[in-house]
Amino acid sequence: MEVSNGEEGMSMVVMGRYGVLYTKPRPKSAETSPRVIDMRSDTVTRPTEEMRVAMFEAEVGDDVFGEDPTVAELEKKAAELLGKEAGLFVASGTMGNLAAMMSHCWSRGEEVLAGDQSHVVLFEQGGAAQIGNFFLRTVRNLPDGTLDLEELRSKLQPEGKVAGDPHKTMTRLIVVENTHNMMGGRVIRPEYMDRLAELIRGLGIRIHVDGARLFNAATALGLPPAELVKHADSVTICLSKGLSAPAGSVLVGTAHFISRARRVRKSLGGGMRQVGVLAAPGIIALEKMSQRLEIDHNMAKFLGRGLVSMSDLGVDLDLEAVETNIVFFGLQRSDMTAEDFVARLEKEGVANGDRVIVKMLPARVASGEVKVRAVLNHHVTHQGVECALIRIREILANRGGRKRKQET
Amino acid sequence: MRRAMAEAEVGDDVFGEDPSINALQERAAELLGQEAGLLTASGTMSNLIAALTWCSRGDEMIMGQEAHMFWNESAGSSALAGAQIRLVPNDDNGRIAAGDVAAAIRDASNIHVPASTLVCLENTHNRCSGGVMTPQDTREVVDVAHAAGAAVHLDGARIFNAAVALEVPVAELTKDVDDVSFCLSKALSCPVGSVLCGSEEFITRARKWRKMVGGGMRQAGVLAAAGLVALDSMVERLADDHANARRLAAGLADVDGLTVDPDSIHTNIVIFEVDREAVGDAREVIAALREDGVLVSHSREQSLRMVTHRHISSADVDEAVARVNGTVRRLAAAG
Repeated sequence: MEVSNGEEGMSMVVMGRYGVLYTKPRPKSAETSPRVIDMRSDTVTRPTEEMRVAMFEAEVGDDVFGEDPTVAELEKKAAELLGKEAGLFVASGTMGNLAAMMSHCWSRGEEVLAGDQSHVVLFEQGGAAQIGNFFLRTVRNLPDGTLDLEELRSKLQPEGKVAGDPHKTMTRLIVVENTHNMMGGRVIRPEYMDRLAELIRGLGIRIHVDGARLFNAATALGLPPAELVKHADSVTICLSKGLSAPAGSVLVGTAHFISRARRVRKSLGGGMRQVGVLAAPGIIALEKMSQRLEIDHNMAKFLGRGLVSMSDLGVDLDLEAVETNIVFFGLQRSDMTAEDFVARLEKEGVANGDRVIVKMLPARVASGEVKVRAVLNHHVTHQGVECALIRIREILANRGGRKRKQET
Repeated sequence: MRRAMAEAEVGDDVFGEDPSINALQERAAELLGQEAGLLTASGTMSNLIAALTWCSRGDEMIMGQEAHMFWNESAGSSALAGAQIRLVPNDDNGRIAAGDVAAAIRDASNIHVPASTLVCLENTHNRCSGGVMTPQDTREVVDVAHAAGAAVHLDGARIFNAAVALEVPVAELTKDVDDVSFCLSKALSCPVGSVLCGSEEFITRARKWRKMVGGGMRQAGVLAAAGLVALDSMVERLADDHANARRLAAGLADVDGLTVDPDSIHTNIVIFEVDREAVGDAREVIAALREDGVLVSHSREQSLRMVTHRHISSADVDEAVARVNGTVRRLAAAG
């Protein structure tokens, strides 16, 4: 594969097995339209040029027959990186979590325990019940993203204890989310996982880690990702979030578990054919994009510091809680809700002489309060955060409202 | 196709912001005479989403006894969508008769009885030798289903093969049903995917169930871009696959120990019987053929299946026939 600088206006030329590929130049209109600083999520990340070239060149085969070498390579790499036997590429984190839970809860009468603010509970449409036919009970998520261990202990219903009890479902699986989205991109530490593993030792209960953003956790802790999941029986990692691949996640676990999950995946409609075209950028995501996440974390702290300086304008943020690439902040304003704020922010404005549109999302947190969530990703640069802070200050300062009076 | 994928304009499709996916969905819907479309990961997913959308838990869905949805989708309609499957006969062309469908419709005012909320068609029909339903056949079943208040889902994995074989615009086969899915990843040759098409209301609901089963992909415009290429340039050539299938069948018919019905070659699928006594057990024959470099699949009992596509030229067909001849002779002699 030959790569060279392209003609004027083109960014890359590849002369490979499938012919010549020019990666697209920036369209003319982009120069005259406002810059979008999109912090709605890290799912908005677009594939890098290297990923596009990889898609162009990918060796493929029919993966339902097990003949796609690229996805096989991705699955093997992911498993190795996470210290597990085997891997399975899936269309999304939701599919990975659902296939995992269904594969663990294979027999009738089993249940999963998960955090009350976790993605599997809040944002997967209750697939557990609707599709998986097992019970999903919740345990309180603490502000640090962990499950309250005392409450968990009291809720465990191991098969050994309750098999003869006609009132109770049998706890088969605990789901831990790392990093924890709704608690603010919080990092679950290995010490916690040690305590959890000890709690359930010998009870026939397993652990699944929803590691959609596991690499953010690993980066924040400076630890290999395998260390964070060594007690987990299965793990899902997302390639399409901060790692920036176009689509997909990988589920990893024992070989037996994965063969069962492969069957479940097929029944959900996740048996894709020449999926190496998605796996090729996925490999780059796993190997390269996992190494740049600290930049997103630094941008998150930079945003956080800027927001904290606006506390007199009603911004409520605990900077200590910003551990990775997610920032939640409250707005203590009598004149503006979080939804109003986000809508105003999304209107075109000017910052540092540039036309910009800044996007975030409102999010209802555990207390019922609606906060604003910003998620840093590789499209949001230092300059982008600067512009966002300028726009935020402009909106909050110009509304004429003040910080809501404290209850005395 | 590779170039289109690598250059595709993309966005987050869960936010509805992927322009390539939006373009494909619109184009597909328009081609099929439906209002809207939805990219899914596979034909199985499209079929499952149709079941989830049309059927409530405990409903009954009517389909042919040879249907792919019944045989090869891990019982998803029942296990995951909670619907019972009711089978009616398929003829040699894979058609189900309007009269049989009418007779299978339930009276749900009776508490013992599930409601018939969905009828599923398959065109072309996989297990019935790639057989074809005409627009007239389709309309007859649709009329009966609608009269009974049931919707009609068309599993059109290979619908373009049907359209090309019948020499009609594909919309003639798809505009009367309530929803239709077709595969991008089969003879249209895209790497992945299926497109589900129906009314705006249907697609809005289908999108929700697609997310629930895990089909909410992000920048999947990379896949949609291939789909757009396929709809432009991979449909007409299906006629070549059909011609190659006929050539293949003619060649296989001359091999002692094999039986193939030349009238059963409707599109790109060739099903032939292997004489157990004279040649051997079907699975042994498949293994022997594999050793000789010919890859075929098992249909049922002593029936084997071969499918033509863009990687199989007419020269390949002749070579395959020669090798099959050799393999079968070898097995017959050894037997």
